Amino acid sequence: MRMKKFINDPKHLVEELLDGLVLAFPEKVRLAGGNIVARTVPKSSDKVRLVTLGGSGHEPGLSGFVGEGMLDCSVAGGIFAAPGAPGCIEAIRSACAGGSSALLIVLNHAGDVLSANITMEAALREGCKVKMVLTHEDISSGPNPEERRGLVGFLPVYKVAGAAAEQGASLDACLEIALRMERNMRTLAVAVRTATHPSTGQPIFELGDDEMEIGMGQHGEAGTGRGKLKTADETAEIMLNMLLDDLCVTAGEDLLVILNGAGATTLMELLILFRRVAHILKARKIRLVRSAVGEFITTQEQAGFQLLIARMDPELVKLWDAPANTPFFVKP
Amino acid sequence: MNERIGKAEIAHMFAEAAKSLRSQHERLSELDSVAGDGDHGTTMLRVAEQLEHAVDPSSSKNLQSILRDTGWSVMGVDGGASSAILGTFFAGMADAVMGEDSMDGHELAAAFEAGLRAVSRQTKAQPGDKTMMDALVPAVNALRLADSASKTIPDAVEEAASAARSGAGSTKDLVARYGRSKFLGEKTRGYPDPGATSIALLFSGFSAALATERKS
Repeated sequence: MRMKKFINDPKHLVEELLDGLVLAFPEKVRLAGGNIVARTVPKSSDKVRLVTLGGSGHEPGLSGFVGEGMLDCSVAGGIFAAPGAPGCIEAIRSACAGGSSALLIVLNHAGDVLSANITMEAALREGCKVKMVLTHEDISSGPNPEERRGLVGFLPVYKVAGAAAEQGASLDACLEIALRMERNMRTLAVAVRTATHPSTGQPIFELGDDEMEIGMGQHGEAGTGRGKLKTADETAEIMLNMLLDDLCVTAGEDLLVILNGAGATTLMELLILFRRVAHILKARKIRLVRSAVGEFITTQEQAGFQLLIARMDPELVKLWDAPANTPFFVKP
Repeated sequence: MNERIGKAEIAHMFAEAAKSLRSQHERLSELDSVAGDGDHGTTMLRVAEQLEHAVDPSSSKNLQSILRDTGWSVMGVDGGASSAILGTFFAGMADAVMGEDSMDGHELAAAFEAGLRAVSRQTKAQPGDKTMMDALVPAVNALRLADSASKTIPDAVEEAASAARSGAGSTKDLVARYGRSKFLGEKTRGYPDPGATSIALLFSGFSAALATERKS
């Protein structure tokens, strides 16, 4: 099947999409070098800066969350490919300029982690005050946290650590908040239809017309198993139960639920799915204290979704509720 | 017979490596589409571009700076793990002790070993995991062995290239255990790893650059 996308020269996808982002939200974000998206109005230098890095083609992730209350800076890589260390070092260097310190938030994917580790080594050698947190909450990639991928869980981590930084928390305090959020969240993804790689025009994986795959990663990495397509209620129930078991959630606990569309799953479907999630939680006497439904990280026109649950304490809820003003996540 | 290689030879080695990667970039993308997102060849084209511009013969940079700068410019192509690993390898070579303008066989072998050590600091992947390491580790070992056996530099580099090619070939029967493709398990069997194939192309280019000297 021929690729049908509104693009120009595939060589310039990243450059053009970042241009579009800063032109659409000039009061929030600007380009600081080729592939670095920074805040238009930087926060004061006594506050901790949040930096992230990751491949492109997943919009609005990750650069769409640069702005007040969340990220200070995002380094965008190629399509589905990590940015190289030189750009990341540049970003950390400018984040730490003038005596500031920085928290680097990285989603656990091989290329991203490689660039991040090279960056940390060089930045620390230069004397930058920087710490790193890795998000790895995808329960389909095995029981070992080191093996688990980072999916939409970056969103609550950016949000709570960003709010803490905005309120003047120290680097160690921001790191503690980020780690607390990270340890208390779990995500599971499902795919029902493949996406086209916008550079090559080829599908990134094959999936039968009547199939779905629970546990598939952001790039079509195989999951725990393929099966026949199920209804929204059945799918939500299977996935939610797996997540609740993995996080060992018991009655009376407070949860944040995020339902993230992969790109081609409609908001109608997401809402129908969410309904079932909320019903099950109620039946199990688990409190749904906060929620978000929408597209936060996508894979082109892949159909499917990611379901995230996170155990919340009063401080995390407060930080989740704090103001944010980024291109694709706003809290008044 | 040349006992040392200088900037001119390094430039030639990088240029031939770039040519070798360019000639196979479509196949690299094809291999990558089995287990990855099918863009490995495109990444390697961008790496090739960096290698072609790596050495400016008129510049006064010493060998170490040339290797370090080449490494960082390769890391800068934003091509995910493959360009990060390759860039780390070249930048790591600069950590070895070597002459200002030229290296002998021992220094070349030591530089390749330093490159491999730098890569090993960044990845836990081992030969057998179906990654670049399946070609890189045997290539560096072969170069060291050939140097210990007092082979000439061109012969030693050809032995490294040959080891890289058989290492890359051996990945065909392996199942990916590292990186993004590990999640595909059995589906990756039957196809050589694109990263390891790139390493073999790189070393074949190095060897081709020195081939004229081997014949003479």
